[in-house]
Amino acid sequence: MIEELRDKARALGLDRLTDEHLAQFERATNGMARHLQRLPSGMQPAQEPAHVYRAKGNAP
Amino acid sequence: MTSDLDYLGLSEAAALIRAKKLSPVEYVTALLARIERYDGKYNAFIALTPERALNAARAAEAEITAGRWRGPLHGIPYALKDIIDVEGLVTTAHSKILMGNIAHRHAIVTQRLEAAGGVLLGKLSTHEFAIGGPSFDLPWPPARNPWSRDHFCGGSSSGSGAGLAAGFFPAALGTDTGGSIRNPASMCGITGMKPTYGRVSRRGVVPLAFSLDHIGPMTRTVRDNALMLQVIADHDPGDPGSVDEPVPGYSAMLGEAVRGLRIGVVRHFYTRDVAGDPEQVEALDAAVKLLAEAGAEIKEINLPPLQDFSACGQIILAAEAYAVHEQWLKERPGDYGSRARERLLAGAALRAVDYLRAVRWRLQLRDRVAEAFAGIDTAITASSMDPACRIDDDEALATNYSRQARMPFNVTGQPALVIPAGFSKSGLPLSLQLVGHPFDEAMLYRVAQFYEDATGWTRRHPVELAD
Repeated sequence: MIEELRDKARALGLDRLTDEHLAQFERATNGMARHLQRLPSGMQPAQEPAHVYRAKGNAP
Repeated sequence: MTSDLDYLGLSEAAALIRAKKLSPVEYVTALLARIERYDGKYNAFIALTPERALNAARAAEAEITAGRWRGPLHGIPYALKDIIDVEGLVTTAHSKILMGNIAHRHAIVTQRLEAAGGVLLGKLSTHEFAIGGPSFDLPWPPARNPWSRDHFCGGSSSGSGAGLAAGFFPAALGTDTGGSIRNPASMCGITGMKPTYGRVSRRGVVPLAFSLDHIGPMTRTVRDNALMLQVIADHDPGDPGSVDEPVPGYSAMLGEAVRGLRIGVVRHFYTRDVAGDPEQVEALDAAVKLLAEAGAEIKEINLPPLQDFSACGQIILAAEAYAVHEQWLKERPGDYGSRARERLLAGAALRAVDYLRAVRWRLQLRDRVAEAFAGIDTAITASSMDPACRIDDDEALATNYSRQARMPFNVTGQPALVIPAGFSKSGLPLSLQLVGHPFDEAMLYRVAQFYEDATGWTRRHPVELAD
């Protein structure tokens, strides 16, 4: 189990996580999965995200 | 040891200073002495800067004596959450990761407070990177609640809330990505404003999540809060999220009645979506009754379930925060405290498509809320569902982030103000949250001032601090 988690973390470039960190990674990922389940499906293809690219920004 | 100066409000102090009845040097000296005496037990400060403060106080006093009063903040002590840059001082974000991170220029909000003649007392505790706390595994201990040292003081702007309740300063800045100004305001019995997204520049502030981050004032009273927002609100072309919207006079409507105002009540947040603590619900019901008796038109309104805002906000927060922290998490995961590391790792495995679905959903939620707000001037709801839990109660702390109604207004970007709404039987603060139309902070201050005057909750302070 821990090796599966380690492989998953390594694939994300997180290759310095200890066993304790991996347990945290698992809890955090499971917690996020609960939020993801609430995402609505069936959005219209043309529905834009909240922040969209502007060709001319107002950065300095 | 309590002196008349400890809980002096910003506006009262400003009037005394302007009339030359209070010396900024004496004021700052008195507060520094109080901090020196008590903060060892409350940990509001990460770094106190007494020499700098006294120099600034002397300069303010000399200017005012010479007839050059700059405005209400001139000579007034304040403090900053330690994710806000002050040129020449270290910005640590309460983290080992940023130890030695000296700021080379002021944040825009610091610039504005300095230009107004404010006197910086120091940098304040925060949850690590404004997300991980309260933590006992960081280079500095967590802030404690002045109403009860064994209790949580909220976060992430924990030092700001604790220091205000402790009478260490009359004004501070905090930041709010998922409720971090309003949570300590609720727990510490003070006043905290999350302004409209884009109202206050974020430049020079360590980001947590770009599209949810807000900077705002924290004070003990509504009037003081309005004065602070007046100083820091402005368009900043250097902040891509900043909005070029006129800045109104935030104190203009203070003292006006609420008769005829249309106030929506978002009751399902604290009765159906989450069952609030009975004492907290009772305090909210009493506040609604008070406003109704004063002639406000009360109307219950329905928004999408609290859990939808929470999910949407948490996905966006996790993705954007991971983008900020990815390199450090890869290279120095052991240098984070446990709570921050776990919360930040939540964004590691998120897919781009999930983030995009969340930011598309965000617009739908915003539009649903705008629709519900169409017929009202302001809304009232809960901030926290419970009074403060014990700081060593890990189970209760874990639910602190779900048992709240603050994230909806980070998602929509609307202004939201938290003020004290009484006390629990155990003597801990209760609170309420007012929510407004974008850029209508002045309306929130109007209603809050009315409530504050009618109840007097902000005149109560912790009886005795531990030393």
